[in-house]
Amino acid sequence: MANAPSGPVRLGDLARAWIAVGTQSIGGASSTVYLMRLRLVERTGWLTRREFMESYSLSQLSPGIHLVALAGLIGHRLAGIRGVGVSVAGMMVPAAIITVALSAALSGAAGHPLTGAAFAGIGPVTAGMTAGLAVISARGTVRRGARGALDVAVIALAFLAFVGTAISPAVVIIAFGLAGIVALRHDRPETGRGPESE
Amino acid sequence: MSDPLALFVIFLKAAALGMGGYGSLPVLREDLLLTGLATDEQLVQALAVGRFSTGPNGTYIVSLGYFAGGIGGAVAALVASCLPPLVMVPLVAFARGRLLSPGFAGFSRGVLLAISGLLLAFGVAILAPQGPGGLAWWHIALAIGALAVTIQGRIHPALLIGLGAAAGLVLGR
Repeated sequence: MANAPSGPVRLGDLARAWIAVGTQSIGGASSTVYLMRLRLVERTGWLTRREFMESYSLSQLSPGIHLVALAGLIGHRLAGIRGVGVSVAGMMVPAAIITVALSAALSGAAGHPLTGAAFAGIGPVTAGMTAGLAVISARGTVRRGARGALDVAVIALAFLAFVGTAISPAVVIIAFGLAGIVALRHDRPETGRGPESE
Repeated sequence: MSDPLALFVIFLKAAALGMGGYGSLPVLREDLLLTGLATDEQLVQALAVGRFSTGPNGTYIVSLGYFAGGIGGAVAALVASCLPPLVMVPLVAFARGRLLSPGFAGFSRGVLLAISGLLLAFGVAILAPQGPGGLAWWHIALAIGALAVTIQGRIHPALLIGLGAAAGLVLGR
């Protein structure tokens, strides 16, 4: 590992590192986190492993896409407020361009019978993968013992609210968040989940 | 084609209420389906594109924005999904202690557990309508297989999507 930087990292260097992360990480959070660590810790030494993990842990508490929060936190640490913009844009804009290109290609082929047949298989796989992500997320959050039963009950109630009532998911999320302040506050925030749950 | 500003508001709300890239899915589905801006089919397509694309898991949101509103919708989705997570920068700088308080821990846990239940239900919801022929045995088998493999985490998600497409080409024609 290289030495930590003596001053702020140059914005051009920072942009290059994040563009590499945004264009080379295929398949989601696991590969993205791996590349972040490779570029920002192992190759450049801009961050120590501990600094990276600290930012990673804090990013797990954010709303929305955790890795955007991680890019913002690291960018701020390395180059101040301009580093936030460079880091987030460097990671997300190239990825978004690639995503739009793939989406446009799919739109062009949407009416073809073979595309329809392929999505007859992709649909159930996507459903199973989404349910799998829910299980992974729950596994990292549910506590042991009696408190775990309470956590599972919350999951079950949220599930039933979605499939069995007309209550908005937004209301469900806010309600259980507020209830959690009173009923689920015994431990420190959960920050040890794997990247795939992001 | 949808108004990018209206899409921006929808995506901003979903990102602010969700935790994690997929945490926004239940709220997004409700808002986009109820307003007729997207279909379940497009949600599945966006999730598949997101798995083949680069960057974080949440890039499916950009794809969904594109399906709902073209390039303008994709830009609206990108900007809206990037803003809520960045609240962490000032929070960590000025209120780090509060983030580690028991009250915030409880709030965070409540939100995460609710999202887990909602995501599970979302998976069931998008499995149910599988074309004019209805739900076949192999749809259910594929979903259960994908669920198990995802939990195990040994197969790349893009490969899993590719296997699903191959199964669809063989069994779904």
